[in-house]
Amino acid sequence: MFIFRCLTKLKKIGSRLLKAKRLLAIFLVSLAIQFAILPAWTQQPVIIKTLIRADEAQQLQPLVKEFNQQHPDIKFQILEAPSDSNQVEDLYTSSFLLGNSPYDVVYMDIVWTPKFAAAGWLRDLSDRLSPEEAEKYLEGDIAGGMYQDRLYRLPFRSDAGMLYYRQDLLDKAGYEPPETFGELLEISQDLQQQGLADWGYVWQGKQYEGLAAMFVEILQGSGGFWVEPDTLEVGLDRPAAIKAVEFLRTAIASKISPPGVTTYAEEETRRLFQNGRAVFLRNWPYVYSLALDSPIAGKYNIKPMVHAVGETSGATLGGWGLGIAKSSKHPDAAWEVIKFLSSEDSQRKFILETGFVPSRIDLFNDPKIIAKYDYYPKLLEVVQSSALRPPIPQYAQASDILQRYLSAAITGSMTPEQAMKTAANETRNLLKR
Amino acid sequence: MLNKREQFTGWLLLFPALFILGLVFIYPIARAFWLSWFAENLGTQLEPVFTGLGNYQRMLGDGRFWQSLWNTSVFTMASVTLELLLGLGIALVLNKTFFGRGVVRTIAIIPWALPTAVMGLAWAWIFNDQYGVVNDILIRLGLLDTGINWLGTPTLAMVALIVADVWKTTPFISIILLAGLQSISEDLYEAHKMDGASPWQSFWQITLPLLMPQILIALLFRFAQSFGVFDLVQVMTGGGPAGSTETVSIYIYSTVMRYLDFGYGAALVVVTFLLLILAVAIISVMLKRVRA
Repeated sequence: MFIFRCLTKLKKIGSRLLKAKRLLAIFLVSLAIQFAILPAWTQQPVIIKTLIRADEAQQLQPLVKEFNQQHPDIKFQILEAPSDSNQVEDLYTSSFLLGNSPYDVVYMDIVWTPKFAAAGWLRDLSDRLSPEEAEKYLEGDIAGGMYQDRLYRLPFRSDAGMLYYRQDLLDKAGYEPPETFGELLEISQDLQQQGLADWGYVWQGKQYEGLAAMFVEILQGSGGFWVEPDTLEVGLDRPAAIKAVEFLRTAIASKISPPGVTTYAEEETRRLFQNGRAVFLRNWPYVYSLALDSPIAGKYNIKPMVHAVGETSGATLGGWGLGIAKSSKHPDAAWEVIKFLSSEDSQRKFILETGFVPSRIDLFNDPKIIAKYDYYPKLLEVVQSSALRPPIPQYAQASDILQRYLSAAITGSMTPEQAMKTAANETRNLLKR
Repeated sequence: MLNKREQFTGWLLLFPALFILGLVFIYPIARAFWLSWFAENLGTQLEPVFTGLGNYQRMLGDGRFWQSLWNTSVFTMASVTLELLLGLGIALVLNKTFFGRGVVRTIAIIPWALPTAVMGLAWAWIFNDQYGVVNDILIRLGLLDTGINWLGTPTLAMVALIVADVWKTTPFISIILLAGLQSISEDLYEAHKMDGASPWQSFWQITLPLLMPQILIALLFRFAQSFGVFDLVQVMTGGGPAGSTETVSIYIYSTVMRYLDFGYGAALVVVTFLLLILAVAIISVMLKRVRA
């Protein structure tokens, strides 16, 4: 009896197992359908990736969402990078050097373009952008995306250096805004003597990329040049360049600029100006909207940088743009993304949200944008007097050389002639090969 | 005398080890030497172009290279000297028997066991101008009114780096020296004492001479390591402010990674390598003399 009962139990278990097996089989088949067979039938969206500083990646999210809704066959993804743009450059660089880069779209600072293009990491965009379309962008921004007459970067947002001045103080003392270096020094000194402001002119004098960017403006305003991109001629030891350094030296020596200016980056100078302690400031457009919320609100104005008598103003161009990685397997989908982001509509939305500077000329006079930022037409005037940092592949190295010796000159550890001569020689050595 | 067959087996057995050594040491060094004769950079579209001694010539006129060499020397000299003095002191203390010596010895090694990048971040916070502990202590002691910008001032940034490095690697030296101290027989001190020597005299006449081999070995290790310092500097200052803490390895890193100047980077590697070999050779000769 006992044995029989055991046997029937075993049978039951056996049939249950069989049933379980059948269930398992059904489960496996459905899994296979879901993950292996169905995807082959339905078209998978192409994934397009890019790497952008985390704060800006956040600001771009609404556009990413909109793009993905409009393009079901493409999935655009932004990977968030550290907020230091040098580190972003390093991340892109190492991914391209090692090969098999995960990035399809490259979001580039203007000064990286020649380097990335010369290294062969970018696709030529020249044939994708019609000349009529190219004309809608700021000329300097397009020029900044060129390398050896081919386009590698489509500008997304622009940036340019300019002179901020205190309209109220100038009015009080009866001055017009300065046009030349001499006028700037003269007005500064007079206002300082009258006790209207502690300092005349504040600018970025710390040894970093901002110093080189600032100097390009002074250099252009003095009629000098840094490196001629076509002939690779170096102009740093010419009289015009030395005069440019002397202007900065004079500003410090005659107490028009605070002695600490040689350690200031953008933010330090912005705070001095915003707290009403300086008459003139050299800075980027971002200061304008921030200063609206400060003690000097409504008392300041902007204009193109001052220059030497008989020369013209220069505004160092900055800004970011988009390119396609050579290693990308989906260049056409990547171009769709770039076209969408740099379209007038996308740029307008982004600028209304963030207050950045557009790269499309029409947007500076766009009614919706003017309604929010009434100074943009004036900004256009500044941005159009643009000066480029030399668009050469070795820019990073050349800039480090200039920063080093310019810093030595303005802190007084070398004379302007000595410093510029050494900088010029090292730059020539660099470019010789 | 080995016969031929035995010799052959010997070489056969050695071959894997030699092969791996060749792969990881000789190949990269030889490749750097080779590459240093070429210009391979953005100016040449990353293609190698023969320039002979061009890269070395350029180095002579490269102020940044000389500054980074100077920074590295200052860092190495200051940190190794301080580490040696402190390490010797700690080793002498740990060599005495006292209650809880085992625990103290273990604790003393901890700084050395921490990953450099992690402790570099911690030191960067310690020296932070706004929230740093160092400034806080100095202000509370009434020595300062406002915080010093340690990592933003050229000389002070170097000081901060040296302090962090000394904190981290002193334990390493003290452990090596402690091993040396323990091999010195107590009898020597007793005999010396009976001859009427003071503890000071026995330190100079017994401890130091007998400890010399260990001191030189510690020097050798530390010198080679700190001459190539990268991680600590990269995390704490990144070579700034204004290149005042840029060491040779940081400069090589930027040359290769940021400037993509592979040929010149290789030349920098070669020169640094030769300098280091020279320094190591000098110490080795001294070591041989002491042992003889």
